[in-house]
Amino acid sequence: MSLTIYGKNLDSRLLIGSALYPSPEIMKQALLASGSQVITLSLKRQNPNEKSGQQIWQFLQQIVEQVNGYLLPNTAGCKTAKEAVTLAKMSREIFKTNWIKLEVIGDDYNLQPDPIELLNAAEQLIKDGFKVLPYCTDDLVLCQRLYDLGCEVIMPWASPIGTGKGLMNPYNLETIRLRLPQATLILDAGIGKPSDACLAMEMGYDAVLLNSAVALADNPVLMAKAFAQALQAGEQGYVAGIMAQRQTAHPSTPTLDTPFWHQPQ
Amino acid sequence: MNIHINGKAYPLPHENHITVAAALGLYFIEPQQSTFAVALNGDFVGKDDYPHTLVKNGDSVDVLQPIQGG
Repeated sequence: MSLTIYGKNLDSRLLIGSALYPSPEIMKQALLASGSQVITLSLKRQNPNEKSGQQIWQFLQQIVEQVNGYLLPNTAGCKTAKEAVTLAKMSREIFKTNWIKLEVIGDDYNLQPDPIELLNAAEQLIKDGFKVLPYCTDDLVLCQRLYDLGCEVIMPWASPIGTGKGLMNPYNLETIRLRLPQATLILDAGIGKPSDACLAMEMGYDAVLLNSAVALADNPVLMAKAFAQALQAGEQGYVAGIMAQRQTAHPSTPTLDTPFWHQPQ
Repeated sequence: MNIHINGKAYPLPHENHITVAAALGLYFIEPQQSTFAVALNGDFVGKDDYPHTLVKNGDSVDVLQPIQGG
């Protein structure tokens, strides 16, 4: 089954970041091993005479073309709606895409999104023709508001960016899935290990976005493969239908005609 | 006047204003061969507007380029 993001069908349910890898070559190998068709990147102040930005973009473009995928620019570092809107417009001009991973940070300590500024920015960007993928906290009402604004994709955090703490609040995440059945839900940030991604998929999430978990692994390429497999396992588990939990034990082996010494007295 | 490009001060004692295109000329070697986008005082300026958008005393120009991101 494929993932659909704003009308684009994708074979992989993994969206992956391009930062923090030990080298460009390992990054390329890891991105390809992940099977992902959506790769995130960003913008920063830099003198174009240095050429490095041009080289990074061309390198990522080649990878994206190889996997028949898409670049997803982010607004990392923005703290107000105005900053995010400006950065989104700059990204659109450079990358020729109206997709934007909208990040508006409200707290430096845990890089927690600012819900007020996020909503404000999302509203402005949607009016301007952007397809917004907002990175947000696991607050049901905030996710609902973003969806109502026109964000077909919502990306609640698992835990703060780069912590690798996994799913801090599974109840909140499950509730968002339950209450927003039509939204494309992508778990973003804080994923640490493949089982975190698997758990999100078992909850019925549509995809997972991660970066550090692969880039900071001892072997990023192998970890990328592990995440790809974990996502598949979780998705298939969800589709297969997970059994209901029961409060008490139930024997798996039939009890009828068990040997006499097991019969109750 | 004084302007800033990516935080660096550029004194222009004989000018009252210059265009964004001219400001970029202070900063670049080969702007036509580069991938970048521009903001003036925090507002996006599209490429088509570089020749007729004015940079005045105290203004800040930001020139951004692609980098890796998560």
